[in-house]
Amino acid sequence: MAQKNTIPFGPQHPVLPEPIHFDLVTEDERVVDAIPSISYVHRGLESLVEKRDFIDFVHVADRICGLCSFMHSMGYCQAVEEIMGVEVPLRAQFLRTIWAELSRIHSHIFWLGVAADAFGFESLFMQALRLREPVLDIFEETTGGRVILGASKVGGVRRDIDADSLSGISKRLAHLRPQLEELSNVFINDYSVKHRLSGVGYLSKEDAYTLGCVGPMARASGLDMDMRAIGYSAYKYLDVQPMIETDGDCYARCLVRIRENFHSIDLIREAIGKIPEGPIEVKVKGAPNGEYMSRIEQPRGEVIHYAKGNGSRFLQRFRVRVPTFSNIPAMIKILKGSEIADVPNIILTLDPCISCTER
Amino acid sequence: MNTIHEIVLNWGIFERMLAFVLLAPLVGGLLAGIDRKVSARFQGRYGPPVLQPFYDAFKLFQKEKIIVNKFQDFNIVLFLLFTIFSGALFFAGADLLLTIFSLALAGTFFVLGGFCVGSPYSHLGAEREIIQQVAYEPMIILVAIGMYQVTGSFKVSVIAQYELPLILYLPGVFAGFLYILTIKFRKSPFDLSMSHHAHQEIVRGLTTEFSGSTLALIEIAHWYENVLLLGMVYLFFGFNPWLAVFVALATYLFEIFIDMNYARFKWQLTFGSSWLFTAVAGVSNIIVLSLMR
Amino acid sequence: MSEPQHITLIDKDQLVGISAELFAEGYRFVQVGCATLENSYELTYCYDKAYHLRNFRITLLPDEEIPSISVIYPNAFLYENELHDLFGLNVRNISIDYNGTLYRTAIKTPFSIENVKQPVPPQPKPEVVKEHPESVKEKTEEL
Repeated sequence: MAQKNTIPFGPQHPVLPEPIHFDLVTEDERVVDAIPSISYVHRGLESLVEKRDFIDFVHVADRICGLCSFMHSMGYCQAVEEIMGVEVPLRAQFLRTIWAELSRIHSHIFWLGVAADAFGFESLFMQALRLREPVLDIFEETTGGRVILGASKVGGVRRDIDADSLSGISKRLAHLRPQLEELSNVFINDYSVKHRLSGVGYLSKEDAYTLGCVGPMARASGLDMDMRAIGYSAYKYLDVQPMIETDGDCYARCLVRIRENFHSIDLIREAIGKIPEGPIEVKVKGAPNGEYMSRIEQPRGEVIHYAKGNGSRFLQRFRVRVPTFSNIPAMIKILKGSEIADVPNIILTLDPCISCTER
Repeated sequence: MNTIHEIVLNWGIFERMLAFVLLAPLVGGLLAGIDRKVSARFQGRYGPPVLQPFYDAFKLFQKEKIIVNKFQDFNIVLFLLFTIFSGALFFAGADLLLTIFSLALAGTFFVLGGFCVGSPYSHLGAEREIIQQVAYEPMIILVAIGMYQVTGSFKVSVIAQYELPLILYLPGVFAGFLYILTIKFRKSPFDLSMSHHAHQEIVRGLTTEFSGSTLALIEIAHWYENVLLLGMVYLFFGFNPWLAVFVALATYLFEIFIDMNYARFKWQLTFGSSWLFTAVAGVSNIIVLSLMR
Repeated sequence: MSEPQHITLIDKDQLVGISAELFAEGYRFVQVGCATLENSYELTYCYDKAYHLRNFRITLLPDEEIPSISVIYPNAFLYENELHDLFGLNVRNISIDYNGTLYRTAIKTPFSIENVKQPVPPQPKPEVVKEHPESVKEKTEEL
């Protein structure tokens, strides 16, 4: 019927401020095929283990991504600590959990804003980014950095948060909650947002499973998959509940993230209530000899940090399997048959983090 | 205001046209500036100075001229000329139907300008622009028909001086016109073909491939077009010039408010809803009027 | 509390069979990890079911080929292209083969044996070395 057009989507595209490229083969406004290509900014951080010793490498791991930076360093430290048999003090584990959950809130609010921008709701975008600020302020006050925290280290954490600051964080989150509810209300109830999101980009539970989806993408399709359930760090002491939706469309993915925001606030407040006194780090001696695959739940899903050492100060191999990499096959599957107008929403509800992918 | 009105009435047809050609860009640019400022305040930002659209236009004229092909500029110049022409006709008090059709012609040249370049974004934008035109055009014609039914004339000068308030006879038509004004102003639920911000799936749609002075011409054409459209709002309240100017400005602010509160619709909903609204509000109003007479 | 790490060593010919079996059992394909050793590659295929990770390890010589499992697990194509682009391994019959264009790296196959310098574990401490000859001396004296 119609002639086939190829529409280049990215690596420079205003909706998607990250360097991923799709060749969208379209008939009128319908996408019939999508071919992804990545690696426009591959940085070779995995290869850097040859040049940095395993203690210094935490900083490199921190810089894998801007939005989930803390979780990368946390995953890396966990892997190395497990290899070396280091017992991390409980207080450090709780602190890590608090920062990790704050990162999740910060990432999800940012995502909400960018998604609003993608479906043309500029005022919502501005509001969302404004709500992200208090979280960044907490980061700045507790670690000194707003985006790259550099708080994690092998054997514990670098900084402690005193009791006053902890209760301050708790209060500020309690204050953030109603504002977040107001924002979420628009996403959940607004007619035009529903028009753009519900029924768009459907992914069935079976497809999500066989295509290896992780994180909110999998949970929105009804899969009970949240790596926090493994009980790493201090999560084993907290009441973690995976947020699951069953619709599998963009709207469900949006809902999952909104609900996770509130759940994260609850988790942080719970952790602040339960945090024990004690040291925040232990001294680490020797060098890692062995291998470990540490799995943690990032805002975007399961991330795997694999470290392998042979007793030298330099690791033999460090690998990150990032959630975006795992979600790309599902993204291609949904894009086929969608409309051009839905493409930004589909890509964004997956929350691609190319910075992670191009590690 | 009444004295200004009288002065305008004493002008000849060419003087009125000249006044429009000179004043409309100033008013349109100022409105665009207010739009940006108010939008920014709605979003909790400070926003640019009110005169920013003028600075932008001047800056664009100074930019290097990059033309994809020679038909591109030709189409845009025609777009601008026909927009000015239809606006001048309107403010000279000529035929309303002629104004509407020449405005549609101007829009067609704009679409052709989008089609004559190679970019797929521009093509998609042009396709969507056509869909939008099909969506809003019936309602604009209904405005002319409704006004004719009440006043018995298509002459803008006659309609504007009609003593009885047109709005009382044409509430449905006015509501329908407000609806499609959102499309014409390229405001949020219906900014499919090109939005003010390039954060869209088709980048900047129709205007993706335009730059420099050509883009400035497009901007200026939109200023003219906006003034013309607000002039049409004025006609509904022509019995009281003060009220009419106030309502025209209020309409503009209302459109900004709508812009802030909606995500972008898809073309199916845009098309369907505007025709539905045209049918329910516009056509029923016209039918009731013809039964009353 | 650490997550248990089960690694089963398998042969490369078993890979497709095991993958098909795991697929039938309802396992999800998680990743292919690869590490460069002195003169071979160590591939780890990970599958997960209900938070239980199972890893299968294949040791591969540089000129050996491995079969693709992208027929069974469609999402494996990205990892297999990664193996080809970063490690220079030959993977047979990938469903979507980028032919080496998935990663644009400055040097081709940055993790291949030629490009990876293995870290050297610290040498035994000098004291240990001193003790050794002494003990040998003592022994010889005794003798």
